[in-house]
Amino acid sequence: MTELEEIGININSIENTEQIISQLMDNYSDDILHLVFSYVKNRTTAEDLTQEIFIKCYEKLNQFNNKSSIKTWLYRIAINHCKDYLGSWHYRKLNFSDKIWDYLPSKSKRVEEEIISKDVANSLMSAVMDLPVKYREVVFLHYYEELSLANISKITGVNSNTLKTRLKHARELLKSKMKKEV
Amino acid sequence: MNDPFYNLKDSIKKDFEGFSFSEERKNAVKETIRKKQSHLELHYWKEETLRNILDSLHDEAKHGYEISTQLFQKNELSFKNNEGQLYTLLHLLENKKILSSKWIEDKKYYSLTAKGKKFVATFERRGSKQHGSLKNLMEEASL
Repeated sequence: MTELEEIGININSIENTEQIISQLMDNYSDDILHLVFSYVKNRTTAEDLTQEIFIKCYEKLNQFNNKSSIKTWLYRIAINHCKDYLGSWHYRKLNFSDKIWDYLPSKSKRVEEEIISKDVANSLMSAVMDLPVKYREVVFLHYYEELSLANISKITGVNSNTLKTRLKHARELLKSKMKKEV
Repeated sequence: MNDPFYNLKDSIKKDFEGFSFSEERKNAVKETIRKKQSHLELHYWKEETLRNILDSLHDEAKHGYEISTQLFQKNELSFKNNEGQLYTLLHLLENKKILSSKWIEDKKYYSLTAKGKKFVATFERRGSKQHGSLKNLMEEASL
């Protein structure tokens, strides 16, 4: 029995696709939202992208072949969507103008800090958020979403050993960062 | 504490408290989906497009890319730059039990069902005399 059948859904019925997405949202939307935030570091953007991700799932649902679990499949779509966003013209332009603000008088800087402190209240999380994406990704999936490295490998397409190395580097980076702060 | 991430989950959980995907957001997704559902009605599609797809599956099962290539050769451009739509339509026809599909290795193969073949035969017999009846026929066939 497939995972979807287990939760009482027949994937072959179009009338049901809306119901499937609705169920997926009930089960996983908060996880996805948090995951997306870990990439984009902004709440509203994370909400917008999560919305787009579920619409994408709806469009791709008939390509889901039950070979992986629906959760793995959903995460893969979400992560690819985030990476597309981070690589997009829109995002890079936005980031560039952020950099310009750095050279301008202090007002803008304070606004930026306020946003960060609103979004990220504690230092451990903000330290994680400061890690480069490839480290942040594996840390978040492993420690927050509690996924095994094998599963993360399936989701991201990155080799398990590479993931292990990245995790090790991430720990080192974080330790030295924490030391500096103390 | 050797692992600096040991407390990560609890720590992040606190940061994320109350940060959830709201009902409003969920409804926005559902609304968008409902709008897209209209693509899932036969009347949305052009008569000729439907015909071209059925023709391309007349002799053998094909996977999406093969169908798409063949449509392209026939100068059927409905799916140009919009390949996802082809799959939507294939899925729709599958639901109408005009097509059936089967996964072989990594590809999904579509073929005409017995019902689909019968339907295509009926349609060809009636031929162009009753042009425009294809969709009605399909709706009937899928009842």
